[in-house]
Amino acid sequence: MTEADEHMDFDLEVEPEDAGQEALETELGGPCLVVDDLHVVYRVIGGRAKKEAEQGAEVREIKLKVPFHKRLLRAGRRHVGAVSEVHAVRGVSFTVRHGESVGIVGVNGSGKSTMLRAIAGLMPPKSGSVHVSGEPSLLGVNAALMPSLTGERNIMIGGLALGLTPKQVDEKFDEVVEFSGIGDFVYLPMKTYSSGMGARLRFAISSAASPDILMIDEALATGDAAFKERSKSRIEDVRANAGTVFLVSHSISTIEAMCTRVLWMHQGQLVMDGPVHEVADAYKNFVRAQRPGMGPARRRALQRKRAAEEAAKKKAEEAEQKKAEAQALKAEEARA
Amino acid sequence: MSTPTTDAAAPAKPAASGDAKKPPPPLVPSTTSAERLALAQQHGLRPLNVRPPLGEYIRSLASRWAFIRVLATSTAYAKNQNNYLGQLWAVLNPILNAAVYVLIFGVLLHLSRGVSNSIAYIVIGVFMFRFVEASVSGGAKSISGKTQLLRSLHFPRAVLPMSTVLSLLTTLVPAIVVMCGITLLSGYIPTYTMVHVTWWWLLLPAAVALMWIFNTGLAFIMARMVASVPDLDNIIGFVMRVLMYASGVIFPVSHYVENLGVSETAKTILTGVLDYQPIAVYLYLVRSVLMQEDAFPPSGLMWALGGVWAVVFFVIGFIVFWRGEERYGRD
Repeated sequence: MTEADEHMDFDLEVEPEDAGQEALETELGGPCLVVDDLHVVYRVIGGRAKKEAEQGAEVREIKLKVPFHKRLLRAGRRHVGAVSEVHAVRGVSFTVRHGESVGIVGVNGSGKSTMLRAIAGLMPPKSGSVHVSGEPSLLGVNAALMPSLTGERNIMIGGLALGLTPKQVDEKFDEVVEFSGIGDFVYLPMKTYSSGMGARLRFAISSAASPDILMIDEALATGDAAFKERSKSRIEDVRANAGTVFLVSHSISTIEAMCTRVLWMHQGQLVMDGPVHEVADAYKNFVRAQRPGMGPARRRALQRKRAAEEAAKKKAEEAEQKKAEAQALKAEEARA
Repeated sequence: MSTPTTDAAAPAKPAASGDAKKPPPPLVPSTTSAERLALAQQHGLRPLNVRPPLGEYIRSLASRWAFIRVLATSTAYAKNQNNYLGQLWAVLNPILNAAVYVLIFGVLLHLSRGVSNSIAYIVIGVFMFRFVEASVSGGAKSISGKTQLLRSLHFPRAVLPMSTVLSLLTTLVPAIVVMCGITLLSGYIPTYTMVHVTWWWLLLPAAVALMWIFNTGLAFIMARMVASVPDLDNIIGFVMRVLMYASGVIFPVSHYVENLGVSETAKTILTGVLDYQPIAVYLYLVRSVLMQEDAFPPSGLMWALGGVWAVVFFVIGFIVFWRGEERYGRD
């Protein structure tokens, strides 16, 4: 067991309103995304990872050849010229067809988001290639457009960045505002929004362009139930139009409700790929197994706590009873 | 086919070893790399992260002109919007700037400029130079400071440096109005020669446009350089300060070459370089248009040079930037 596994986050959220829902089966077309032996490495300037190195992704220092007489400089290298490489995705290959809805699961730092960015064409890979039909559009929680500008301006900027014309954006404006459900806040700067409002507006903007491949990174986590329902129907729309949806989420129930196929990533590699229930069950088992176990010490502590609670309850009950008795006695005396 | 697909060679067996604590071993794909590439080609899929050919790149950039414009005007507007005086600062800022420079260099320090209207000389120099300086530093940050945007939206990256300079141009417009006003008013100071509005003033937009093209080229080069070596951002301030004195922003530097203890040929070369380098050329153009001074006669040579510098810097800058296109956002 590596250090990474011990430091892992246990993120098996279950959203009650998703329970029992399933993604619609749609007719699958030809391949629309082919990923071939994808490696993503990014350079981190100004940080030399030691401990973080073990967290899922592989981090290694770029070995600069240091002659013996420069050994003295070594002491300062942590602060001068600190460059590390994060090997976040390590050789991933898969094919996705039109109309598929793919969920990506994995513990924190397993390279899910980086892979999503790479297959959206936003993060250049080190080696390997990604082939797509149409234009992929990534929607992430952090995709802040321009915080100092109003929502209205941001809708325009986002729409134009996605390749719409100003006229098309104007036409979609009302639809976007209605979908995001932010009302008159659209005329205030985006920095005044709550994080949920911001995420909702961004989701509305990026799905307004009706992309061929919609990639969603945790965005649904910030919405309320009504918004989730709306986004789910939007996702179904994309799939019905032979589009493809990718969804990265920590909520396994959201994935189960919206996806037909799941990719499980671990330490930058694909470890499982298949129908939603099969992979989701295996992943759930894996995450449960990671939970701190019921060791003897923990069990004893729990028992003690329970006993103390019961004693307190009993005491309270007794006190109540005594009080009632006293009252009854008083009442009787008064009558007498 | 309506069942979900998988690319696993063998159907995955969850926790086959019975140890649920370990994730399954990495998958072995069912297809080889060559098969996948053939499949992609067969269905006409487009490879991502490949630098588009120059022609296609220019076309996709041209189709985003509205994006460049909206981004530029919105950032220019947002800059002043969180103040009580709001957009008034677009005019107040240049006035205060001009006041400081005129006070220090025009009133307190007496330098020979070979012109009688020192105030117009300084104000024009400072305002136009600030346009170049802001383009360089803004261009430098246009890629390296927007990693979040680069990692969330897909568009030709040349949009960013272009909109940065366009945004500076929109903030320059009120500054130019202030600059013209100060130039006119300074003519009423008794010892200065009178400044008149002449037909030459109509050429001011042309000079500013040439500068805008030149600055965009500079911004392209800086964006690429700082995106690959962030350290360069620290040096820009020093280089720009040297350029400020070398371009005759506050006082004509070529006059001081005469006093240097070097040979005559070295003096000629040095004067030539100082007078005909792009920033000096653009300052000359704006001064020759606005001021009626003997030191700045209208010059066809300078206009031609201004055009050449603009085209050269823009074309080289654009190509330099385009060659890094597929790498932006990686670091």
